[in-house]
Amino acid sequence: MIDSSGRDATKKFMMGEFEAEFPLGFQYAKNHMWVIASPDDSALIRFGFAAYAVRLLQDVYFLDWLLDAPSKILESQEIGSIESKKAESALYAPCEGELVRFNAELMEDPSAINVDKYGEGWLFEMQKSDTVFLNVDQYVDLLDSVWAKTQRTIKGQVNE
Amino acid sequence: MAKRISVVVSQSPSKNPAKRKLEEDIVAGLLFENGIDVTIVPNLYDIKPESTGMLALRQIAGNVVVVSWLFERAAHWILDRNAITGHVGEVLLKNDDEEEDDADAEQADDEDDDKDRVIDSRSLKNRKIYCLDLKISNRAEDFIDEVKRIHQENAVQVVGLGDIINGGISQPIGERMSTAPSDPALSLEGSGLDQPSIVNRVEESGGRRWYPVIDYSRCTNCMECIDFCLFGVYGVDAVDTILVEQPDNCRKGCPACSRVCPENAIMFPQHKTPAIAGSSDGVASMKIDLSQLFGAPADGKSAEELAALERDEQLIAVGRDAVGMTAGVPRRQEDKSERSKDGLDDLVDQLNDLDI
Repeated sequence: MIDSSGRDATKKFMMGEFEAEFPLGFQYAKNHMWVIASPDDSALIRFGFAAYAVRLLQDVYFLDWLLDAPSKILESQEIGSIESKKAESALYAPCEGELVRFNAELMEDPSAINVDKYGEGWLFEMQKSDTVFLNVDQYVDLLDSVWAKTQRTIKGQVNE
Repeated sequence: MAKRISVVVSQSPSKNPAKRKLEEDIVAGLLFENGIDVTIVPNLYDIKPESTGMLALRQIAGNVVVVSWLFERAAHWILDRNAITGHVGEVLLKNDDEEEDDADAEQADDEDDDKDRVIDSRSLKNRKIYCLDLKISNRAEDFIDEVKRIHQENAVQVVGLGDIINGGISQPIGERMSTAPSDPALSLEGSGLDQPSIVNRVEESGGRRWYPVIDYSRCTNCMECIDFCLFGVYGVDAVDTILVEQPDNCRKGCPACSRVCPENAIMFPQHKTPAIAGSSDGVASMKIDLSQLFGAPADGKSAEELAALERDEQLIAVGRDAVGMTAGVPRRQEDKSERSKDGLDDLVDQLNDLDI
């Protein structure tokens, strides 16, 4: 159902002047992570930050996880934190299930999140489950509906 | 006698260029200070006991200034656990908010003086360890000036001791200090201090770690933590003093034992809550989460209940059964009500009565 083909073909969403691109072959979670079948193990699904999240974060300096893999997690459970040029934020689980492994490369240097967000910058892998994610059209519809609110949130915090 | 001092710079695990720049600006600012050696290591909390970095730190003989992104207490007791011991050196560069709290904490300490602390029975190396928290300022000069002040203070003390041995002090100390030359390099000339800096840079990557750090100036060896933790992190030494025996058995992200410690002696330096990470804010040996007063959602859970929940999450994660409040939950809960109320209790009761 999910595969990593079609990385080249993308659907675009304008974040102001910035054109965020989303591969057609990927699926998406509402917390702005992408989902594909793991290229290393067909029993696993792989997650990473979609362009929308990376654009808001900008340069990522530090990524830390609150748990060791493997570990069972609940949807929206706090699983880690991230520090970037523009933000500090907690990270939450995109769905319930078994988190099998984290991308160890990012612990030493998280810059792959910026350099290759849909490839080497992947975050973690989970056991395949029956969770239904959004396809690219549904995800971009979601962005349409949240973009105004996101802008208000950011401006609100900047003006504080 | 140790006349030179060593400055240890513990780097942030973050790649944040602003943090790296502050670290490097401090190193650069100390480079040409005679009598100050600099050792740069990765994040102190992450480096392992047998690593090159920790070995380098163990070889430092005299007084040490540790500059890190950790709270001062955390840095001090991480070193202590790695056999790098010494007395707490007083630093003047600290968080403004903390000074008042320190005064309160000292007062509370005075009231608690009847309690035996583990530190009272331990032999520490006869030197001082000064810990500076890089979170306090983003100006490198603030840290460089404080290092220079400590360096000069140490040199003055050495001279003072020599004077006493040689037949008394000829003038009041205050006067002596006010007439001392303002240039530290000048004042230290001829005392073996005019050697240029040695800079030792240790680079290694052993990954991130997560484990508790015990503050032995607070710990009373009550054993609540070893009773509570079901993952075999704690143990005792040859004289039955509690210690973190198997740090890497600890479950990442779980701070439960720090919540059950009646003396707030257990720190998790990377935890997002400052009180758990080793901040000196708040009064020692009082477990009150004021955040609920200031608008955090009231979940109605005590520290012990929260700790039991966190422990259950970890037990389930490794396929064991949850134990809830049935195992190792502090016995002190039972006799808590018998303890007579002190002024702080009254204050908290009043806060509870307020309709905030």
